[in-house]
Amino acid sequence: MIKVENLNHSFFVGKKNQEKEIRVLKNVSLQINKGEIATVVGRSGSGKSTLLNIISGYLSATSGNIALNEHDVTNYTEKKWAQFRLEHLGFIFQSFQLIPSITTFENVELPLTLKGVAPKKREKIVQEMLEQVGLQEHANHYPNELSGGQQQRVSIARALITNPSIILADEPTGSLDSETEREILELIRKLNKEKGITFFIITHDDYVAAISDKTYELHDGVLKEGSVFHATK
Amino acid sequence: MRLSDQMKFVRRNMKKNRLRVFMTILATTMGCAFLIVLASVGFGVHKSIVEEMTQYQILTEIRVNGKDVNNRYEPIAEDDIEKLKSIEEVSAVVSRVNLWGEIVAEYDERKANVSIILTDMKEELKAKFELAEGRVPEKESEIIVGYHFAKNLLTEGEQVERQSFYETGEGELPRGYVGNLIDETVTVVIAKQEGEEVFTEEFEFTIAGIGREPSRDWIEDSNLYIGYEYEEQMISAVYPEEVLAERQGQPYSEVFVYAPSVNEIEAISNQLKEEGYYVYSISDELEGLNLFFTALKAGLIFVGTVTVLIASIGIFNTMTMAVTERTQDIGIMKAIGGDPSVIRQMFLMESAYIGILGSIIGVAFSYAISWLANLVIPLVLEAVTDSRGPIEFTFSYIPLSLVLISVSISIGVAILSGLRPAVKATNINVLSALRREI
Repeated sequence: MIKVENLNHSFFVGKKNQEKEIRVLKNVSLQINKGEIATVVGRSGSGKSTLLNIISGYLSATSGNIALNEHDVTNYTEKKWAQFRLEHLGFIFQSFQLIPSITTFENVELPLTLKGVAPKKREKIVQEMLEQVGLQEHANHYPNELSGGQQQRVSIARALITNPSIILADEPTGSLDSETEREILELIRKLNKEKGITFFIITHDDYVAAISDKTYELHDGVLKEGSVFHATK
Repeated sequence: MRLSDQMKFVRRNMKKNRLRVFMTILATTMGCAFLIVLASVGFGVHKSIVEEMTQYQILTEIRVNGKDVNNRYEPIAEDDIEKLKSIEEVSAVVSRVNLWGEIVAEYDERKANVSIILTDMKEELKAKFELAEGRVPEKESEIIVGYHFAKNLLTEGEQVERQSFYETGEGELPRGYVGNLIDETVTVVIAKQEGEEVFTEEFEFTIAGIGREPSRDWIEDSNLYIGYEYEEQMISAVYPEEVLAERQGQPYSEVFVYAPSVNEIEAISNQLKEEGYYVYSISDELEGLNLFFTALKAGLIFVGTVTVLIASIGIFNTMTMAVTERTQDIGIMKAIGGDPSVIRQMFLMESAYIGILGSIIGVAFSYAISWLANLVIPLVLEAVTDSRGPIEFTFSYIPLSLVLISVSISIGVAILSGLRPAVKATNINVLSALRREI
């Protein structure tokens, strides 16, 4: 579950003593229940990524409260955030964010390694996960030897490997062609249905928004709940 | 994150830049080796000097030369010997009286001019009198002879040969008696002149033991060590009556106090000084010497550490580059749940790894250089100084303590130089790293 209350975020630009305040998020509130897919759509610069970064703990909000899985994470330290991410969250990025010097297997394995899972147990879990996302044959390939769709599958496998209850995705299909985009969206829907994972997706793409249970629109830092695209589900 | 996984990450990262890491390890190796070799000269010279000093004198021995009575020197008397023995920590008090005169030892038609040393055999036993052969006397009539006694035991013909060798330098020195002397009986003939008359007295003794070879090459020990039971007879046999009347008793020639171990020497020495005795022990001298060399060694280690510090600039540079190159990887790790302290730890491990490898190779190199120096320098000096014998001097010595100190300094400096880059890695902003802004 994701619960955001009265979230505000602003930053200052300009010379010293002549700074101008830019308000990125204005009193944003939302609630996403367990097992829901929620998308936030909006134009570039509307504050979508800022909202996701704050919910992910990469950025601190100016004010407001955030609760994830009923944990108040608003004032978490960096160390606490690290533990929380490993336990509860999975991340999918637009540019995949895979470590280029390690293989597909090792990239997927990384969260388990960080968590301190024993090597033999890790191997088994990663093998199963690669089979699930159809990448078992590419286990020993490096990211630059994979296509965009395959890299995003690796990224999704890495997000799922710790069995998180929430996945936060920033433009998950932004770098993919339409054919691959469909495949990835299909995979997200399948995971949502089978595992009951909550997805919070930032996108500017209506196709992505179409798979969600709840859609929000962010315009100039103000969040409004939009229509639900049940027809395409 | 498990330590084994952290190690795996560190090794993989280091392999990525083999040449750079190799050069950094090489710099650390050179720094560590220079530190050890430099300080080893101090340790080597110290060791050689201490060995030189201690081989001539026992560390647990205090020589008592007399005492101060109302600002006046007085020789050690019999009462003093008892007083010295009563000191709790003292393990033995050896007092000796040397007698010189017309003293000849005869054995199997051979004769040797000797001196007599009267001593307390029980105390010699307690002081662990070192023998080359035989045992410490148990009976009154048993004696110990000096190491060179047999060599000076010559037939009349050999005495002529020896005289001729000393005068003309031709021929060879006779070898003296080469057979067994233990449990053999020698006759000691002592002659003294009283006015116009010459009196001789004869004593028979059984040789129980032969003393150890004196540590100094030029000392010849042909003495007979006889128990105090013969004191009166020997003194009256050696000295004419008028001499005896003048002497008013025989002063001790040498008095030694022995401690059970080096640890008690200082306490005993201080107590004796307080009681007015004039004392000398090698430990007193060593104390000053050790202080000087400790300061010298500390100075050399300090100078050597400067080289390690120079090497640390390389480590700092390598680690800073590593952090910059891996910014995106660090950002990804932090984004998915990497603990900042684990990331810092991994970078510290990397710099420590460089320090450890550099130190291990540095220690190996130091031992090789030290061995080579001790082999080559004496040869060079022998050639340059036209020395007759081999120069036995340790120029470079690497004790375990020096290895531990140097390795600790090298690894410590390596970790310290990796600290700032490691902290930089920890503080990398996730968003900036993911956007590749750094």
